[in-house]
Amino acid sequence: MGRTWSALTVPGALVVAVGLVAGCGDGGSGAGASGTPRSGGTLTFAVGSDAACVDPQQVGSNDTIYSVRQLVDSLTDQDPATGRIVPWLAQRWEVSKDARTYTFHLRQGVTFSDGTPLTADVVKANFDAVPKLGVLGLLAKGYLNGYEGTTVVDPLTARVRFKSPNAQFLQATATHSLGIESAASVRKTPEQRCAQGIVGSGPFVLAKYAVNQSITLTRRKGYAWGSSLWKKQGEAYLDRLAFKVLPESGVRTGGLQSGQVDAIGSVGRADEAALKASGAQLLARANPGVVFGITFNNARFKDERVRQAISLAVNRRQVAETVFPAGTRPATSVLAHTTPGYTDLGPLLALDQARARSLLDSAGWTAGSDGVRTKGGAKLAVTVKWFANAATNRPSLELVQQQLKAVGVQVELKEQQIAQLAQIQASGDFDALWGNITRADPDILRSSYSTRLANIYKIPPSGLDTVLDEQAAATDDAARRRLVGQAQREVVQRAYVVPVVELQTELGVAKKVHDLRFDASSRIQLHDTWIG
Amino acid sequence: MSSALDPGHPALDTAAALDPTAAADPVGWTPYRRFDARRLARFLLRRPGLVLSVLVIGAVFAASFAPGLFTSRDPLAGTPAQAFRAPGAGHWFGTDELGRDLYARVVHGTALSLQATLIALGVAFAVGGLLGLLAGFAGRWIDDVLMRCVDVMLSIPALFLSLALVTALGYGTVKVALAVGVASVAAFARVMRAEVMRVRQAVFVEAARSSGARWYSVLGRHVLPNAIGPVLVLATLEFGTAILSVSSLSFLGYGAAPPAPEWGSLISNGRNYLANAWWMTALPGLTIVATVLAANRIARALDGEWARQR
Amino acid sequence: MRRYVLRRLAQAAGVLWAAYTVSFLVLNRLPSDPVTAMAGVGADQAGVDPAQVARLRAEYGFDRPVLAQYADYLGRALRGDFGDSVATGRSVTSTIGDALPQTLLLAGTAMLLAVAAGGGLALAATYTSRRWLRQALLSLPPLGVSVPAFWAGLMLVEVFSFRLRLFPAFGNEGLRGLVLPALTLAIPTGAIIAQVLAKSLLTALDEPYVATARAKGAGRARIHLRHVLRNASLPALAVIGVLVGQLMANSVVVETVFSRNGLGRVTASAVSTQDLPVVQGVVVFGAFVFVTANLAVDLVYPLLDPRIVVAGDRRWSLA
Repeated sequence: MGRTWSALTVPGALVVAVGLVAGCGDGGSGAGASGTPRSGGTLTFAVGSDAACVDPQQVGSNDTIYSVRQLVDSLTDQDPATGRIVPWLAQRWEVSKDARTYTFHLRQGVTFSDGTPLTADVVKANFDAVPKLGVLGLLAKGYLNGYEGTTVVDPLTARVRFKSPNAQFLQATATHSLGIESAASVRKTPEQRCAQGIVGSGPFVLAKYAVNQSITLTRRKGYAWGSSLWKKQGEAYLDRLAFKVLPESGVRTGGLQSGQVDAIGSVGRADEAALKASGAQLLARANPGVVFGITFNNARFKDERVRQAISLAVNRRQVAETVFPAGTRPATSVLAHTTPGYTDLGPLLALDQARARSLLDSAGWTAGSDGVRTKGGAKLAVTVKWFANAATNRPSLELVQQQLKAVGVQVELKEQQIAQLAQIQASGDFDALWGNITRADPDILRSSYSTRLANIYKIPPSGLDTVLDEQAAATDDAARRRLVGQAQREVVQRAYVVPVVELQTELGVAKKVHDLRFDASSRIQLHDTWIG
Repeated sequence: MSSALDPGHPALDTAAALDPTAAADPVGWTPYRRFDARRLARFLLRRPGLVLSVLVIGAVFAASFAPGLFTSRDPLAGTPAQAFRAPGAGHWFGTDELGRDLYARVVHGTALSLQATLIALGVAFAVGGLLGLLAGFAGRWIDDVLMRCVDVMLSIPALFLSLALVTALGYGTVKVALAVGVASVAAFARVMRAEVMRVRQAVFVEAARSSGARWYSVLGRHVLPNAIGPVLVLATLEFGTAILSVSSLSFLGYGAAPPAPEWGSLISNGRNYLANAWWMTALPGLTIVATVLAANRIARALDGEWARQR
Repeated sequence: MRRYVLRRLAQAAGVLWAAYTVSFLVLNRLPSDPVTAMAGVGADQAGVDPAQVARLRAEYGFDRPVLAQYADYLGRALRGDFGDSVATGRSVTSTIGDALPQTLLLAGTAMLLAVAAGGGLALAATYTSRRWLRQALLSLPPLGVSVPAFWAGLMLVEVFSFRLRLFPAFGNEGLRGLVLPALTLAIPTGAIIAQVLAKSLLTALDEPYVATARAKGAGRARIHLRHVLRNASLPALAVIGVLVGQLMANSVVVETVFSRNGLGRVTASAVSTQDLPVVQGVVVFGAFVFVTANLAVDLVYPLLDPRIVVAGDRRWSLA
């Protein structure tokens, strides 16, 4: 490895596993690992939403990533404990000093589930197709920003070239978004891949996809090229994975308690006590990346004072402690504290209603008769669009709504289907969006806030763009860290986004399920999982 | 909420299903009956359930216009530290996930639910009544055309028609109310038409006509006052059904946006905590049941019982 | 008789055509533009791609005059083609066809339960000579029609799935999974059957032939079951159309509550995603089932009671 980004991911900096395990206490590294692992069985996993797409390269919602992640292998894997990049489909790799050229040496004998072999040509076809993905491919496209092309050096060696330094690319190859799909899948249109699914080389294959209902996977026969991080060699333990879409967290919780499902995603604080009492294991892990928050459409909220006032009026601690699993941290930056390069900006994000009020006063918004501020007859109202892909979203927003009401800002909440997210982002038809983005690399700041890229949030061009570009090109760790810190400060001070709370993924898992593990991005890995 | 679909009309059941003209027992031809307090008292004394129903409906209306009479708590502001308290002396209906008082939310939600129900009824009553009046009074081809349209509306299950309208109009309490109202226009049109046709042939109407009264005067003075009674009875019957339809749609998520405490939305939100906070689902639901039951009981009394009891 | 059958068939076809037209008008005169909604999936990050919007517009025929669109759509609908789902790209016909068996199973089971429970209740209430029992039994149906189906379902889940753990709270698997949703669906339907049947039983008990049979020395139970029930069930048959429509509509709510796959859940998610072709397909299908059920009743009715032919005309639409 050259002097790439991964050096920043020193042990402990990347990942903190938060243990919440009832009477088990193995630190959330995996469901209890006692007994002898055995093959067979079906894992029924209840999730809250369906992204209406089963292509890992185009899915960004955790609920769906849990399942589609199992379909594909990535070139590399990332150790959740240390943040180090380790071999998977690529046995080894070289990175040029200027972080513009990445050469991957592929493992021999890997086949996709349609029987075709993994070659450098397939890798090239995958990367060549990524920039042509639609709005759903935003994450993957961001990772390949400045992509120049891929050279097939020999059948098992691919050299990926970038026009400008792209320090985050190696970590990106470990994500599900750049999971390698078969040549036939890559040739399909993005829509076809979404609706029909894709052929990968992963430990499981797609058996059935029923939109908004379920995603069923079966074990890939003859699988023998697992990540170097996995404990088991060869095929996965489980025969089948059944992911059921159950939109109500109450039904998911009840289903786990009564044994109808084996695992559930997105546990909120409300259900923790009851789940512990029923003997289920609670696995929690803080997600790196952009924290949960309200991101403005900055073309509609141009007055920085208003945005700052809204940010100052949010009581982050209250949200974290009322709604989210125990141990969840309020936001202290736009990045979660587990993201490399995170800078603590806590003082800027502390509750200060008095300052919020005076900022709004100075911006000309005066208190109206019904408590909502007005200016020139218009009400100070923000319509926040949100998605029911986590049980914590609605109560969090209702709480923020209450908090902002105290300073005279009216918040209206509008629930949308998660499948509509991309369309809403593309059309720009929103006041503000509620959400987070998980990524174990601070380059997510550039994908989200650079006006030179998608600029979903209509941020005005400024010096921030240069800082973001410079960090992407920085090959010196300290320099990159400094630039990333500067970018965070800029985003938080200008209040383009109101960071609220860090996402801590909490899964509820039945006692009989063993070795269900988080990967470095707090999604799950089910190859080693067994039921006994 | 048209009868085509909904949990039926408790009182309008058999008779209405077979013959709409039988829906309304002729309350008598004397247009103005002298009020008889003793008869009313005797009538009510024998029916404690009816008295209770009147009280319940009275309370529902009171709560929607003056929620302050029932609770002084703010339905939108909670104390997060007091989340998920079970029902007890401090919080009669318990608290929700943000520590808001559920009783206050149900009380304040009454206004929204009742508003939606009344809008739905108003639309159905006005549009359906007008169609029925026109069809019954004009007769001939106008009657034929209008009634064919009504037949078509009745052939689409009401909830499906409402859902199609919601898809077209979008979400919100008023839109849901409109969708429910439009879907039940047909029932009103039928009853109104039947009544108008019946009254039109009555002796005093014929007399007024032959004595040279203008058509609008016949319509306004004689036909409408005598035909409207059964339609009003139908409206009381549909009241309960409308509450159920509106709450079903808002349960499905097409109603008021959070944090508005509409009854159906309260249940839908409570469902998220069903396994561990039963009161958040059970108590708003019981409120709906009590209201619908009471409304239906009153409707049954208006439809027949009162006239039969002499 | 033959003319009667033909006329009823023609009427049914007319109503279906009109139902299609109504749903077309409601859905295609939307305030929001369906094409922009559809374009989201494939559009580039710069925003919705105008070329793609135009392509979709042409593909779905939205660029043509409404009347031409209508004629085209109607022609295809007559051949059973209701277009493709916007959300999944699958044909509406197969979307509905795949979901239908589950819903039929659920609704059929619920109907059996409702007939058994509602009929039994009505028989018991009219048979018993104990006043308090009759009162108690007859007070149940009004309660049944006052309970929101979704709430009844949630309460059953809370008690029988989460607390007693007797039945699954969701899913389509096995007969055990069918119990709670079918029960939920049967409550309002059974209540109506009980009301209608009890009323016509009471009427039939007053008929002279009952007194005659009694004078001839027939037992009470025999009279009740053989003579009275037979005569009283004819009017009850007339509400079958209503009940079928009601079962379908309630299945939307019940399938949502129990997270069961089926037509109801397809409908609910189509409404949420503004999937117009699917919503329209479901509405027309609902009308089809409703009209067919009423047609069947009308055609069977004269066979059971020849006096009905004239009076039975248009009864199906009374609902």
